[in-house]
Amino acid sequence: MPPEQLALTALVGGLFVLAFGFVASVKNWRTRLPFVGGKRLATDGGHAHGGSHAHKPSGIVRWLTTVDHKDIGILYGTYGVIAFLWGGVAVLIMRIELFTAASTYISPNMYNALLTSHGITMLFLFGTPIIAAFANYFVPLLIGADDMAFPRINAIAFWLLPPGALLIWAGFFTIPLDLAIGPAETSWTMYTPLSVEQVNPGVDLMLLGLHLTGVSATMGAINFIATIFTERGDDVSWANLDIFSWTILTQSGIILFAFPLLGSALIMLLLDRNFGTTFFAVEGGGPILWQHLFWFFGHPEVYILVLPMMGLVSWILPKFAGRKLFGFKFVVYSTLAIGVLSFGVWAHHMFGSGIDPRIRASFMATSLAIAIPSAVKTFNWITTLWNGNVRLTTPMLFCIGFISNFVLGGITGVFLASVPVNYLLHETYYVVGHFHYVVMGMIAFAGFGAIYYWFPIVTGRMYNRTLAKAHFWLSMIGVNITFFAMLLAGYFEMPRRYATYEFNPSLAPLAEITLLHQAMTVGALIITVGTVLWLVNIVWSWKKGGEVTDPDPWDTKEYGLHGREFAWFEQQLAATDGGETEIDGEVATDGGETLGDE
Amino acid sequence: MSVETDDGHGHGDSHHLPAVEDWPKGFGEASWWPFIAALGGGGFYVGAALFILGRGTEPMLNPMIGPLVFVLSTVAFLTGLYGWLYHAFIVDFWEGEADSYGFPLKLTMLLFLGTEVATFGGGFVYYFFVRAGAWENLPAIVTEGEVLSTLVIANTLVLIASSVTMHYAHHALLKGDRKRFVRLLGTTFGLGLVFLAGQVYEYYEFIFHYGFGITDGAYGTAFYGLTGLHGLHVALGAVLLAIVFVRALYGHYSPEKHVSISTVSMYWHFVDVVWVFLVVVLYAGAIV
Ligand code: HEM
Ligand SMILES: [Cu+2]
Repeated sequence: MPPEQLALTALVGGLFVLAFGFVASVKNWRTRLPFVGGKRLATDGGHAHGGSHAHKPSGIVRWLTTVDHKDIGILYGTYGVIAFLWGGVAVLIMRIELFTAASTYISPNMYNALLTSHGITMLFLFGTPIIAAFANYFVPLLIGADDMAFPRINAIAFWLLPPGALLIWAGFFTIPLDLAIGPAETSWTMYTPLSVEQVNPGVDLMLLGLHLTGVSATMGAINFIATIFTERGDDVSWANLDIFSWTILTQSGIILFAFPLLGSALIMLLLDRNFGTTFFAVEGGGPILWQHLFWFFGHPEVYILVLPMMGLVSWILPKFAGRKLFGFKFVVYSTLAIGVLSFGVWAHHMFGSGIDPRIRASFMATSLAIAIPSAVKTFNWITTLWNGNVRLTTPMLFCIGFISNFVLGGITGVFLASVPVNYLLHETYYVVGHFHYVVMGMIAFAGFGAIYYWFPIVTGRMYNRTLAKAHFWLSMIGVNITFFAMLLAGYFEMPRRYATYEFNPSLAPLAEITLLHQAMTVGALIITVGTVLWLVNIVWSWKKGGEVTDPDPWDTKEYGLHGREFAWFEQQLAATDGGETEIDGEVATDGGETLGDE
Repeated sequence: MSVETDDGHGHGDSHHLPAVEDWPKGFGEASWWPFIAALGGGGFYVGAALFILGRGTEPMLNPMIGPLVFVLSTVAFLTGLYGWLYHAFIVDFWEGEADSYGFPLKLTMLLFLGTEVATFGGGFVYYFFVRAGAWENLPAIVTEGEVLSTLVIANTLVLIASSVTMHYAHHALLKGDRKRFVRLLGTTFGLGLVFLAGQVYEYYEFIFHYGFGITDGAYGTAFYGLTGLHGLHVALGAVLLAIVFVRALYGHYSPEKHVSISTVSMYWHFVDVVWVFLVVVLYAGAIV
């Protein structure tokens, strides 16, 4: 076995030990927390049956059997973070390889495998689950529901994800076994005929795993829609439904049609690979059919990821601007508009695939149109900040970084949507720069912001503010170095998905391209440092951070912006302090119960 | 402490616990059923993966391992599903709130049917691609127009009839005519089985007498892909019908409590409509 593979195997193994340790210790942290399901546990090692009244078993069994939306949210979050770490390690290996033009540390095949795994992992195993984490924990609190409409389906949907990830990553685990299974090298788009012709059964395993995670996402989406429609508290109407729940509702509506379609396409690909069907063969539907089906899913998928994150920013940003979200209604309308439009732009990924010019023109029009509701949101956020009492806490910094990155990510998208420009930039690093401004600069940023914002509710503790600010600045600087360099490299026509760039110097500006690649690698390392700080901060603060006793840690009350989730938090604090507090309404959950009613 | 089930999530003003009866019993927010069901659900995919690894001229492992895992997963899945459905819907059937859970469940079925449109959509798009595209290398059953046989037409009538009996079964239940309800529900179930048998017979005819299989050109792929997908749905529908039929025999359902009859009926009508569309485009559409 080549040393490069050995090293990689060791790395992946190490990552798993780490992940496992992380999960195993989560349970210990939780028993030390003031709140478990809203009740104070006995602090002496977490025996749940003691004086306090518990709705859950203790130890690992609790996590395997839980149907509580908050616990399931934490499970989703843990899962998403593990996926984020693997996706990050994969891309770091690639970026280090790309520091020089030649193939140095890893083989081009390994590069392709990492590229595929990075994309699939980040989109399906990090992006969708991390949103489900926030939605699970907070949508029921924000709409005044007891729980999700179907708590058990909620749990099933989560538990389908780990086997999905194992199947998707299976090709890496089998490297040390020296079987004829390797990681898939199809890129996340899995274009046919390449994906049909690769004999490696690792591709089949990945397709099966993807299908499974799609089933999970669809179950979750149905559950969220049912919850928001039928479980709202008596005082939560459509008119005062919060913006985050609106975006989750829209996102779930998109998932409803996007993921099952991807599921069918994946099964068709599996059948083509294994049973000689002709779905994507030239004599059948042809490779173009795959592209249509994939992007009919794929473009909505990017909005599946970004809409809830826009919802988070729309929810958090006003809290630190001291003003209500400007033009709330228009933010909701633009969300719904994007939800509908997102199904009508898919062919802008196929301008280079030789489709009918009239189709190209109409898809160019719809793609330009979708920038309008996106811009509506941006202007609303900026106007919310205008004349506001802006407080630069870490969540706020991430929100502002989000907007800044969206301006770049969004505008580059508009350029790409223009057919003639697209001909120049398609399949170059420009595209990679565009979508990373959105996926890393927005989706990950909003995720970080929300983690910091809700950290007190979930853990009962506060994170370290200095580390958190360092995390923000490193991320912001790193993202802009890395991805701006990608945009520039795209202008130099550096093609994407290449493991090397030893081009003919008379045809390519090698010096500039090398410099840009080195900048990208440096930027990626800066992002890594920031992410490590974040991880350390979160883990350490979860165990040792200062306990939050103030029910309004963000001082939102004085601006009249106290959210329902913090009102719920206040009830929990009150209930655990004296147990005397009279709690009314459905915000009062199990925290209001007294001993001995079991 | 009030018992709260998946279907009975009311808007009461105290926190309802979702899973009091579940195993492990008495906690309220803990249940093994989802984990077990998901173990089975994930196991299906692992089984399929092992099956693929066991295929070919040089299989990587014993070809029986995949199917074995699949069977074990089925056991786990059904156990989890049974426990879940039992504790969510059945154990508390007569005590649960009568009307408050009807809307969520019907909405859920509607949403699920929305996902089904997308699932079938993928297959139909493929068929439209080939039908509107080159449309060559057609099998004999298409060129000679034999794909639209009397068998298919009879089978279609059977399925439509089952939709009608389903509708009137529900009607009878609402009117309080229990005997007629059970009889018509049983008839629906029986007609569903007849349809499946007809489908199997058709496959048999096509494969062994006409030599037309799934690898026979673009049409073979479309034909078996779409009818197979639909057949799976009818099979699932038959399982659902069997469940509600058995429950009806045990005395469940009343004019006030009939949500699962409504949802199963929605599903059954949907499958029926898809079939009619399928016959029109895939059978008739192939030969016109
Ligand atoms: C302002 C609205 C946007 C427009 C007009 C737009 C337009 C485009 C276009 C035309 C491409 C194809 C480039 C090519 O391959 O030649 C593209 C690629 C991409 N966009 Fe966007 N985009 C927008 C926003 C977003 C957002 C919000 C996200 C993510 C949340 C996103 C994620 C992506 C991804 C992942 C790809 C690359 C897919 C691939 O080939 O691997 N875009 N975008
Ligand atoms: Cu797109």
